Amino acid sequence: MSDVVHIFDAPRGRTMLLLPFALDDAISAWTRLQRAMTRSHPDAFTRDEWAYLISFLDEANLRAPFVAAFGESSSGGAVQRIARPRGEIAVWLPNNVSLLGPLTLILLSLTGNRVRVKAGSRADDLATAFVTWASNADAGAAAILERTRIEQFDRSDPRNAAMAAAASIRIAFGSDASASAIEALPHPIHSRGIYFSDRTSEAWLDLHRADDETLRTMAKVFAIYGTAGCTSPRRLVVLDGTIDDALRIRERLAEVWPSVVTRDVPMHHASQNIAAAQVAAATGWEATTTPRNAAAIAAGTPQLPAPPGFLALPVVAATLGEALASLPANIQTLGQAIDRERLNDLLPRLASAGVKRIVPIGSMHHFGALWDGWNYWQETFEEIEVQS
Amino acid sequence: MTALLDMPPFAARDAGRFLDEMVALTRHHLAGCPEYRRIWPAWNGATSAEELPFVHAGVFKHVLLRTAAVTQRILRSSGTSGAATSRIALDEESSALQSRSSTAILSDFIGSEITPLLVVDHSSALRQRGEISARIAAAMSLRPLASEIVFLLGRASDPASIQWDVVAEVLRRKSHLRVYGFTTMLWQAWRSGMPSSVARQITETRIDFVHSGGWKKLEAEQVTPADFNVALLRDAGDGSRVIDYYGLVEQVGVVYPLCNAGFRHVAAWAEVVVRDPYTLQPIHDGVGMLQLMNVLARGAPYHSVLTEDLGRIAAGPCPCGRDGRRFELLGRVPKAETRGCANV
Repeated sequence: MSDVVHIFDAPRGRTMLLLPFALDDAISAWTRLQRAMTRSHPDAFTRDEWAYLISFLDEANLRAPFVAAFGESSSGGAVQRIARPRGEIAVWLPNNVSLLGPLTLILLSLTGNRVRVKAGSRADDLATAFVTWASNADAGAAAILERTRIEQFDRSDPRNAAMAAAASIRIAFGSDASASAIEALPHPIHSRGIYFSDRTSEAWLDLHRADDETLRTMAKVFAIYGTAGCTSPRRLVVLDGTIDDALRIRERLAEVWPSVVTRDVPMHHASQNIAAAQVAAATGWEATTTPRNAAAIAAGTPQLPAPPGFLALPVVAATLGEALASLPANIQTLGQAIDRERLNDLLPRLASAGVKRIVPIGSMHHFGALWDGWNYWQETFEEIEVQS
Repeated sequence: MTALLDMPPFAARDAGRFLDEMVALTRHHLAGCPEYRRIWPAWNGATSAEELPFVHAGVFKHVLLRTAAVTQRILRSSGTSGAATSRIALDEESSALQSRSSTAILSDFIGSEITPLLVVDHSSALRQRGEISARIAAAMSLRPLASEIVFLLGRASDPASIQWDVVAEVLRRKSHLRVYGFTTMLWQAWRSGMPSSVARQITETRIDFVHSGGWKKLEAEQVTPADFNVALLRDAGDGSRVIDYYGLVEQVGVVYPLCNAGFRHVAAWAEVVVRDPYTLQPIHDGVGMLQLMNVLARGAPYHSVLTEDLGRIAAGPCPCGRDGRRFELLGRVPKAETRGCANV
C-alpha cells in the first residue's frame, strides 16, 4: 500500500506526515467502534474501565497527539520536515496491567507502525480482550489492528529476544526488573527503549478545596485501582492542614464513599480493608473503614508508615515543605486541587522533585501521548529535515 | 490460670464464665499493649461473645503485638514465597496453657496413650534461635502425648527426603505411633518411595496420622480428603486413623479437629463467631468470616482473631456425640485479582 500524505501546520513549521492509511478513515473506524461499544460490554472489563475506553475514543482525543506533535491539519505548501513511521514497535504488557494496555495500542495504531505485543501469559489481559473484541465488532477497526499482533508467552520465551531485535522502539510496562531484562536483550543500535516501570502517584489539595465534589472525585479516582495503579493516588495530602483537618476530611470521605462506589468490593478486599484499618490504627493513624468496608481511610502525618492494603488511603496533613520532602523518588502523577496561582509558584519545585504529570485529581488516570516524561508517541516517527 | 481448662473440652459450655474471662483478658491486653489499645480505643466491655473485639489475622503480618514483658519466642507463619509472614509473640504462661489445651482437645480424638511421635519435618526447624515456625508449633502441640519425637526428613521442606530407615527403626520397637505432618508434606512424603519392608511393618502397626495446614495445594492436584485418607490407611494396621485439624498460627494450642460427622468442635475455653465481611455483624445461620476466641493468650492480644476463613455455625447436637459449639469450615475468603500497573 502506498503512503497517504497528510499535511500539518505548526508555528515551528509545516510537516508532511506519511501514513499507510488515510488518517480520517482510521479515526472514523475508531469512532464507529466507539458507538458499538455503547451497546456491548465484554466481561473482562469493569463498567468503569469500559466507559473510560469509550470516552478515550472520542475523535478530539484521537486527533490530539497529531495536533501536539505536528500542528493543525492543513492543505499543503512547502514543508520543513517529513514524518514517517519508524517501522516496528515492540510492546511488553504484564499480566495485571490496567487499561494502559489497550489505551497504548489505540494510540499506537494511529502511528502506522507495525506493533508487536507480548501480553501476559494469562488469557484475560485487557489488551488481548480489547483487540479481539474490536476486531470482531468492526471491520474498520479490524483493518487498523491488522498491524497489531498480540501474543501471549512468558518471560523466558525466545520471542522476547526476537521482538527486541526487530523493533525500532521498545515500550514496556512493568517492574524495574522486567524493564532491565528487556533493555538487556540485543537490540538495534538506533532503536530506543521506553520503559513505564515502577511509579507511584499522589493527590494534593488546598484545605479550602476539600469540598464534597472534590472528595467524591478523589473517592472515584482512588477506588478504580486502589493503590495498585501507577496513576492511583497513594495518599491525599492536605496542604497546610492540621491533623484535625485531615480527620475531618477522612470522615467526609467515608460519608461520600457509598455515593461514589455503589457496588460491594470483592469480599477479599473488604477483609483486607478491616486489616488495613487496624494496622493503621496500631501504627499511629486515626483509621476507619468506609461503609460496607469498601475502603480503609486513615488520617495522620507524613512520618507514619503507609498502611497496607489495596484500598487503604492515607489522608495526610502536611506543610508544603513536608509534602515535597516526602514525595517518593518514583513519583509519577500529582493529582491536584490547588489554587492556580499557588500551583504556578509550585511548578518548578514539583518538576525538580521528579513529578512527571501535574493534573486535576479527576484526570489522574487519563492516558496520553506524553507519559512518564516521555513523548513516546512522537518518538515512533522518524523525522526528516527538508530545506528548500 | 483459667478454670475452663479443667473442664472436659467438649462438655456443656459455661458461657458466662467464658465471657467473664474474655472480658478480663481483653482489659489485660488493652492495659498492656499500646497498639491494641489504639485499635480498640473505645471498647468498654461486652455482654456477649459477639461484642468482644477482635484483631484481624492480617494485622499480625505487619505489627508484632505484645502484652507480656517477657516474650519467650516468636512464632512465624510459613507463608508463600514473597508473602508477608505472621509473627506471634509467645510467652511462657500462655505456652503452658496452650499445651494443656491441645493435649485435652487432641486426646478427645486420638486418645491419651503416650506413643512415639514421628514428625514429617526436619529437626533444624527446632533450632532457630528465638523463633519457631508454624509447622513446628503445630507438631509440638502433640508433644505432651509423645514418648519420643522423631524427625523424618533428611532435608528441610523436602518431603521426598523422608528417611524410611528411621521410620523402620521405630516400627520395629512400637506397635502404636503417631505421625504428624502439614497436609501437603504428609501426603507427598508418605507416597515417596516407601520400601516394601516398611510397608510390611506398617500393616502391623496402629498409626494415628494427624495433619493440618489446609487443602489448597492438594485440591490443585485434585486430591480429595477421601483419597487422602484411603492412601494413608491402605497399608496401616488395624485401628489406624487420620485426623485433620484446623487451627490458626495466631492461636496455637486451640485446635479444631474434624469429627467423623464433618464438623469442627469448639473447646469449652474457646468460642467462634461468624461475621458478615461487609458489616461485621454476627451471622447466626449463614456463611461468613470466622472470629475465633480463646482465654489462653496472655502475652499478646491474639485471644480473639478475625480470620480470613469462611465458615458456618451448625445448630443442634452433633451426630458424633460431642457437646458444645461446632462449625463447618468452608475454605478461605476468595481472592480477587488486583489490576494495576504491575508495580504492586
